[in-house]
Amino acid sequence: MIASILAIILSISVISNGEPLRASLLGNIPTLFDLPIYVDGVSAFFIFILGLISFAVSLYSIGYSKHYAVKNGTSVLGFLFNFFILSILLVVTSNSVFSFLLFWETMALTSFLLVIYEHEHESNLKSGMTYIVMTHFGTAFILASFLILYIQTGSFSFDVFRQAASSTPMLIKDIVFILAFIGFGTKAGIVPFHIWLPQAHPSAPSNASALMSAVMIKTAIYGLVRFIFDYGGLGPSMDFAWWGLLLLSVGAVSSVVGVLYAVVEKDIKRALAFSSIENIGIILIGLGLSVIFAAFNLPSLSILALVASMYHTLNHAVFKSLLFMCAGSIDYTIHTKNMESMGGLIRKMPWTALLFLIGALSISGLPPLNGFISEWLTMQALLSTPYIMNTNLQILIAFTSLAFALTAGVGAATFVKIFGVSFLSKSRSELALNAVEVPRTMLAGKGVIAFTAVILGILPFIGINLITSAFNLKSFSPNNYFGYISLSNTSGGNFASLNPLIVLLLLVSVAACFYVFVRIVGKATSERAFTTWDCGFGGLNARMEYSATSLSQPLRKVFKFFYKPRNKITREVYAESNPYLRRKVKIDSTTRNLFEELLYEPVISACIFLFDKIRMIQTGKVNAYLLYIMITLVLLLIFVRLTP
Amino acid sequence: MNVDIITVILGFAQSLILIALSPLITGIMRKVKARTQKRIGASVFQPYYDIVKLMRKDDVVSDQASWLFRFAPWVNFAAIATSALLIPVFIIYSPFELVGDLLLIIGLFGLARFFTILGGLDTASAFGGLGSSREMMLSALIEPALFLTIFTLSLNFGATNITTLINSASNLHVLITPSVLFALISMFVIVIAEAGRLPFDNPATHLELTMVHEAMILEYSGKRLALIEWSQSIKNLILLTLMINIFAPWGIAKSVSIETVGIGFAVFLVKASVTAMLIAFIETRVAKWRLFRIPDLITIAIASSMIGIVFFYI
Repeated sequence: MIASILAIILSISVISNGEPLRASLLGNIPTLFDLPIYVDGVSAFFIFILGLISFAVSLYSIGYSKHYAVKNGTSVLGFLFNFFILSILLVVTSNSVFSFLLFWETMALTSFLLVIYEHEHESNLKSGMTYIVMTHFGTAFILASFLILYIQTGSFSFDVFRQAASSTPMLIKDIVFILAFIGFGTKAGIVPFHIWLPQAHPSAPSNASALMSAVMIKTAIYGLVRFIFDYGGLGPSMDFAWWGLLLLSVGAVSSVVGVLYAVVEKDIKRALAFSSIENIGIILIGLGLSVIFAAFNLPSLSILALVASMYHTLNHAVFKSLLFMCAGSIDYTIHTKNMESMGGLIRKMPWTALLFLIGALSISGLPPLNGFISEWLTMQALLSTPYIMNTNLQILIAFTSLAFALTAGVGAATFVKIFGVSFLSKSRSELALNAVEVPRTMLAGKGVIAFTAVILGILPFIGINLITSAFNLKSFSPNNYFGYISLSNTSGGNFASLNPLIVLLLLVSVAACFYVFVRIVGKATSERAFTTWDCGFGGLNARMEYSATSLSQPLRKVFKFFYKPRNKITREVYAESNPYLRRKVKIDSTTRNLFEELLYEPVISACIFLFDKIRMIQTGKVNAYLLYIMITLVLLLIFVRLTP
Repeated sequence: MNVDIITVILGFAQSLILIALSPLITGIMRKVKARTQKRIGASVFQPYYDIVKLMRKDDVVSDQASWLFRFAPWVNFAAIATSALLIPVFIIYSPFELVGDLLLIIGLFGLARFFTILGGLDTASAFGGLGSSREMMLSALIEPALFLTIFTLSLNFGATNITTLINSASNLHVLITPSVLFALISMFVIVIAEAGRLPFDNPATHLELTMVHEAMILEYSGKRLALIEWSQSIKNLILLTLMINIFAPWGIAKSVSIETVGIGFAVFLVKASVTAMLIAFIETRVAKWRLFRIPDLITIAIASSMIGIVFFYI
């Protein structure tokens, strides 16, 4: 049975491997089925992401699904997984409201089933419920925006939406945009609709969470791009400026909130999920800037910001799937997601450690990896604000830059922490001591992605050319793959330029030169292993080393106003008379999730209150129900009579 | 500036001179500090002796350490020496001026720090973990401050490319605008913070009295320690050079001839030593702050760059 499943997974990976080829055609391929398919450059770009990630993740799944094989076979997992990939593919190629919503729901349901795949744990069921409620909340808004467009244009076809874009009144566009933004934003995980993300991603099997985080939430970005650029008919008009402003500020808030929760998290997959919120925020900052620049009729800057945003979309898909697969590998061998019981894994699983390090460096935006390129482009877009002739907006963008810079700083700290605590120092538990390297297929899946991350980092024009041709940005001619990214200022001088390939070469040659230099000056010396310095007390053990919680404690203290930590200290003393001689001191420190406390709990309790009141009319007696029907009938008759 | 072979060689040489001179500046700082405390102090060349001696010593590596621990000092040094190659020191030219900008330098510093922090965690020592944890917190705050300072500078001088930026700074007649002044305040705080000097951290002590950097590198010895010490000096001098070349670009060579380069070099040496002395002098006047008061100081840097940005726009 396992073999048949593996065959399905393999065939899917072959198909998905073929998809990038179709993406490179980049023409309009309108074919008409019952459910119309429409693949233009934008769809092709997202299909490329899907194809790349699902190929690697499928390869990884061959090994990973054995994790579940012992328990209940992999047929269900394989079926759901493949169906999930298929539905994402069909979402980004749909060309009418019906097919879009149909596949959008299929995607939501298959991912819901994947979230509750390990249904033995009650917490997974709970997170599945949160997920499905939130995702339908979003779908409701998307549906509403589609219906308004239908009323306006009288058609369900996306082609008609596209043509009608210029003639639609601005007010309608504004309403449609708001509804679509809330709807897709829920799927993307923007604050304050993000609460499902940190629950659903850790619960799903890691191959599914890699796909969910890397690709599924990108379909929301796809939807937003479609609504803004296609159906919204974005043009150089001040009316659109506030769209960009909304995207920008929500993006800034999401990125800061996401990263601040990520840095204190000790469940590795939850930390990654929070970091997804952060990265969606960065993508939205780029998208928002692009809209603002377009509104102020600055097309070249708008393209810069759009490229930054889409490059980050691609990059996030790459490194987040890599990190989720590595987290899954850890779970696979030591059966825990809690970082406090990891440690020392770099010696047990050297390859996974190396691949995770590549992912961590690249998500932290460090050169010469891919995360740095998109962060650099976003920063340059932020630095181009002097061209916007509106002081308030300029100052607001300066604050966004503060948020962005803070995100970058804390983001790097987050991944230092995750890597340091889970892979370095002594093993913190028996489980971690028995860790072994994962099977080759799993390593291969991760290796493919890590290689992509490195290539996209040192040859950024591969990504940039892909985006510019996919989005049909004609003013931006394709560049030599080894060229410099160069931006010039108004006086024609060089504003900024970057060539990551040369940076890498410089790094390597500097290291080589100074290695020789140090060998010549220092002559040959020997190396001796000895125990870590313990101040002469002897016996350092794993309990004394820094843990995940203690490592982020200073940051928790600095951002106290945000976390509002609750510290509960319990002391056990030997004798009441002497409180200083303690047997045991226990500190229970929890950070609160302000959004759940302040926003969701009141809403939920209000709903429960309301439903309680409604229940009063549900008496269960037949004659009462007959009375209701009677009243309704009379009211309807009156209503019909009154309307002319 | 028309670029010929001599310019390229000089441009490359100035970076090597920066790398070579950096321990001297550290030595001068220590000397000034000692003299203001009525001590004689070690020779200004002491940092060189230390580095060479450390290079000749055998390494002791913790038995807990992995390949990352052995690898980290090299990445750290390569990243910082590479950023030294990108900046103009006494001629407004760098052979790699198109390779990267100030944001790349932030990135390279980030890379160096990433590996140093991991090196501190790798040996399972509680003290190394403590240093790493604090460095993590500080770097998460210094990075936004540095980015915002660059934001203010790029608004004022129209570039993040370092050569263009220094060039336009040196061509301005009025350099002192409120916006630039606030950027200078912010930059000065960052220079002190990145150098790990008082009131942030005390570089002169070891173990108990040191909170951050020295705690992280406690387990290193021999060649690797030499590299870390040296890269720390280079990093300090890079930041100093950036500060003096952007905020006081007078005297920097704009064309290549014996006089201009000679003057440029002499002026650079004087400016760098004076700034270093100033920092050392300030250091004797303040006490180390509590760790959790330090974010306040970085907030001042962030706030003053924000004020600088606002001043530019209104």
